Amino acid sequence: MNLNLRKCFAPFELAIAGTLLVGCASTGVKNPSGVPVTEMRADERGFVAGTGVESQDLVAVTDKMARSILGIPEIASAQGIPRIVLEPVVNETRFPINKDMFLTKIRGQLNIKARNKVRFLAREQMATLEREQALKQSGQVTSSSDPHVVEFKGADFFLTGKLQGLTTRTSAGTSDYILYSFQLIDARTSDIVWEDQADIKKQGLEDATYR
Amino acid sequence: MKVLSVCGLAAVLVAWAGCASSKSSSSWTPAGDALVDGRAAISQGPAKDRVVWQYRTALAVLRRGQYAEAKALLDDALLTIGGINANDKEAKKSRSLFSEESRKTFRGEPYERVMAYYYRGILYWMDGEPDNARACFRSAQFQDSDTENKQYSSDYVLLDYLDGLATVKLAGDGSDALKRAQAVSKSGPLPPYNPKANTLFFLEFGTGPTKHATGDYAEQLRFRTSQSVVRSALIKIDGVTIQTSPFDDLSFQATTRGGRVMDHVLANKAVFKTSTDVVGNVALVSGAVLAQNRHTQEAGLGLLAFGLVSKIVSATTTPAADTRSWSNLPQYLSFAALELPPGPHVATVEFLDVRGQVLPSLTKTANINTSPTRDTVVFVSDQSHTTKTL
Repeated sequence: MNLNLRKCFAPFELAIAGTLLVGCASTGVKNPSGVPVTEMRADERGFVAGTGVESQDLVAVTDKMARSILGIPEIASAQGIPRIVLEPVVNETRFPINKDMFLTKIRGQLNIKARNKVRFLAREQMATLEREQALKQSGQVTSSSDPHVVEFKGADFFLTGKLQGLTTRTSAGTSDYILYSFQLIDARTSDIVWEDQADIKKQGLEDATYR
Repeated sequence: MKVLSVCGLAAVLVAWAGCASSKSSSSWTPAGDALVDGRAAISQGPAKDRVVWQYRTALAVLRRGQYAEAKALLDDALLTIGGINANDKEAKKSRSLFSEESRKTFRGEPYERVMAYYYRGILYWMDGEPDNARACFRSAQFQDSDTENKQYSSDYVLLDYLDGLATVKLAGDGSDALKRAQAVSKSGPLPPYNPKANTLFFLEFGTGPTKHATGDYAEQLRFRTSQSVVRSALIKIDGVTIQTSPFDDLSFQATTRGGRVMDHVLANKAVFKTSTDVVGNVALVSGAVLAQNRHTQEAGLGLLAFGLVSKIVSATTTPAADTRSWSNLPQYLSFAALELPPGPHVATVEFLDVRGQVLPSLTKTANINTSPTRDTVVFVSDQSHTTKTL
C-alpha cells in the first residue's frame, strides 16, 4: 500500500518541483540579475555603459598628474621655487562631484613628492590673511616683520582642470566615459606649459527590478 | 499515513513559501507630522524604504528653507539611486514568485529619481556651484532616458533649459541645450538666456502623481494623477511683474514612461498564480470525485494532495506591484531668471488658477539678498511657508 501511494505521489511531486523551477517569473528577461560594474581601459570595447567618479579614479588620476607635472622643465629645472595657485576644476560631466578634491589631492601629492620644488599659494585663505595683516598694521597684534610691506607672493603658474563626460544608454546598459584634463598655465605669458589627460570608462546594467 | 504525508508536504511548502515573503516591520510609530515621521522612518524604519523617506523629508525641509538638511538627505538618496545595482540579493528576491516587488530597496520610478537630482541641482546652484547643478540636471535627464516609447525619452523641458543656462553662466555655449528644450516644449517659445540674470526662481505647484496597482492581483502599476488648481505664477519684485507658466508636468512624465521590465516579471507572476490556482481547483475537484471510488481512491488522494499544494503555491505567489511613492511631489515645475542689482529685495509670488485669478491663500513672500558675486536662487512652492529669507 505504501509503495503504491509513493508511486501515486511521485509524478505529482515531480510536477510540483518542475512547476516551481520552470515557473520562474523572470523568464524572458535578459540578464535579470543585471551585470556588475566593470572597470575597463578607455580604449577597450565595452559591453554596455557606465557609472560615475569614484575614489579610485581620483587617486589614479591625481597620481598620474602629479608625476607628470614633476617631469616638466618649468618645475624640474626652475630657477627658484615656482609658486602655484589652484584654480577650480570645471565639471562638465553628469556627475556632481567635490571638484576641489582633485586639486587638493594633486597638491598633496606634489608636496609629498617634490618637497621644496614647488610651493602652493593659499589664495582661498586671502580674506583671513588680509584680516591678519590689517591687525598687524593697526598694531593690535605683534608682527615679526614690517606689516606695511606686502609679502603676499604672486603666482608663477595656475593649475586647473576640467572633467568632461560622454554617456550612452541602451537596453544593454549604461556607459560613462570621463575625460580628466589638467593644465599648468604660466601666469606671466598665459602659455599652457603642461597639460595631461586621463580617461576612464565604466559600464553596467541594472537589476531588472529597476528597469 | 496518507493524511500525514499530504500534510507534511503542505507544511514544508507553506514554511518555505512563508519565509520568502516575510515582511520587515517598522520600529517607529507615525506621529502625523511629515518631518517627524520622515526622520523617524529614516533612522528606525526598514532600510529598503529609507530612500522614499529621504525623498519625502528632503522636499518637506526644502519647502521650509532648511537647505542643509535637504542636501544631506538628497546626497544620501543619490548614493543609492546613482549606482548600478547588479546582483543585489533583495532585488533578486523581489523578482521571485514568493516575494513582493516592494521587498527591493526603493529607488523610485524615473520621474521620482529625476526629481531627486533636480532638487539637488537647485541646492548646488544655491551654493554657487552651477557646474555641479548642471551635472545634476544632466543626470536627471538621463534618468528619464529609459522610456519604452523613445518619443518621451529625456523630454523634461526645464532640465535641458537649465543645462543650457548653467553652461551660458560658465561662459560656454548653451544653444544646443536650449534647442533641445525648445523642441520638447509644449508651452511655446522659451525665454532666451540672459547671462546677466543673477536671481533664479524655481517654482513648483500642484500635487504630483502617486502610485496604485490594478489587475487581479494588483500586479499592474498605475499612476494616480490630479489636475492642479494652480496653473501659473506671478513674480513681483522691484515693481516688475513676470508671469511664469509650467515648463514640465510630472503627471505627464510619470504616465508616459511606458512599461517596465519589472511589469513583465509581475505579469509572469500573475499568470503563474492564476495557473496554479486553476490547476489546484481542477485537481481538488477531480481528486474528490476519484477518491469516492474504491478503485480510484489512491489516485484521487494523490490528486487532492497535488491540488492542495498547487493552491498553497498559488496563495503564496505575490505579484503585487511596488506602490511606494514620493507622495509630496508637485505637478508642475516652472522657472524664471531675473537680473537684479545686488542687495536686499522683497519678492512676492502669486499663484493663479486656470482663469488667471490669484489664489490669495497661496501667495508667498521672499526676502532676497542678491549677491554681487554669484547667483541667488529662490525656491518657492505653493506648499512653502509664507515668508522666507534668502
